[in-house]
Amino acid sequence: MTDSILFNIGTVLLLISLGIYCLLTMKNLIKLFIGIEIISKGLSLGLITAGKYNSNLLIAQSLTVTFIVVEVCVVAVALALIIAVYKHTKSLDIGSLSKLKG
Amino acid sequence: MDILLLILLLVFSAAAVFAKDILKSALSLAVASIFLAILFFRMNAPYAGVFEISVVAGLITVLFVSTIALTGTGAELKERKWTILVFPLFFIIVLILDYILIKKLTGTITNISNVIPGVGAQGLFADVLWKERTFDLIGQISIIFAGVFTVLALFRKEK
Repeated sequence: MTDSILFNIGTVLLLISLGIYCLLTMKNLIKLFIGIEIISKGLSLGLITAGKYNSNLLIAQSLTVTFIVVEVCVVAVALALIIAVYKHTKSLDIGSLSKLKG
Repeated sequence: MDILLLILLLVFSAAAVFAKDILKSALSLAVASIFLAILFFRMNAPYAGVFEISVVAGLITVLFVSTIALTGTGAELKERKWTILVFPLFFIIVLILDYILIKKLTGTITNISNVIPGVGAQGLFADVLWKERTFDLIGQISIIFAGVFTVLALFRKEK
C-alpha cells in the first residue's frame, strides 16, 4: 500500500516536470497548451492519491470533479484565444506574439 | 499492474510532448487520459474516473482536434532540435530528485495513512458534493458561465 502511494507521488512529480519542460522549450501554442494539460493530469492524480491515503476519497473525488470542470473552461477559453491569435498573426509561433509589446 | 499503468501514462504524456505531428500529440494526450481514468477506477474513485474519461479524454480532445482543424497543423513551425537532445538529461535529473524525495517520504507516509478518517470517509458521493462542497458548485457554475461568455465574446462577428 505504501509502495503504491510512493510510485503515485513519483509519477505526479514526473508528469509536472514533463509539463514544465514542455512549457519552457516548445514554440507551438497548441503544444504549450498540451504541456498545461499534462500538468493538470499530474495534479488530479495527486489529489486522488492524497484522498485515498487520507481516507477522504469522496472529498478528493469532488475536488477532482471541480478541477476537471474548471480545466474544461480554461481549455475552451485558451483554444478560442489561440484561434483568435492565429487569425491575427497567421502563425502558431509563440515568438510572433512578441510584436504585441509597447 | 498499477505500475504498468503509471508507466504507460508517462509514456503517452511524453509522446504528446515530443510527437512531431500535433494531431498525434492531441490523440496521445487522450490515450494518457484513458490510462489515468483506469488508475482512478482502480483506486476506488469511479466518479473522478468517469469525469476523466468523458470530459478530459472526450470533450477536451474534440476541442483540441477542432482547433487543429481551424488553425492548420503548424507544420511550417519547426521546434528547436536541442529540446529533444536535452530532454534525457533533464529527465535523469528530475528522476534523481524524485528518488531522493521519495526516499525521504518513505518513513512518513505510513503515519499519514493511519490518520483518523475525515468527513469524506463514508457516505455517498452526491451527499459530499452537494452538502459539504456547495460553494465549489457555485464556483463551477460561475466559471462555466464565464467560459461561455468569453468564448462568445471572442467569436463575435463585428458588424
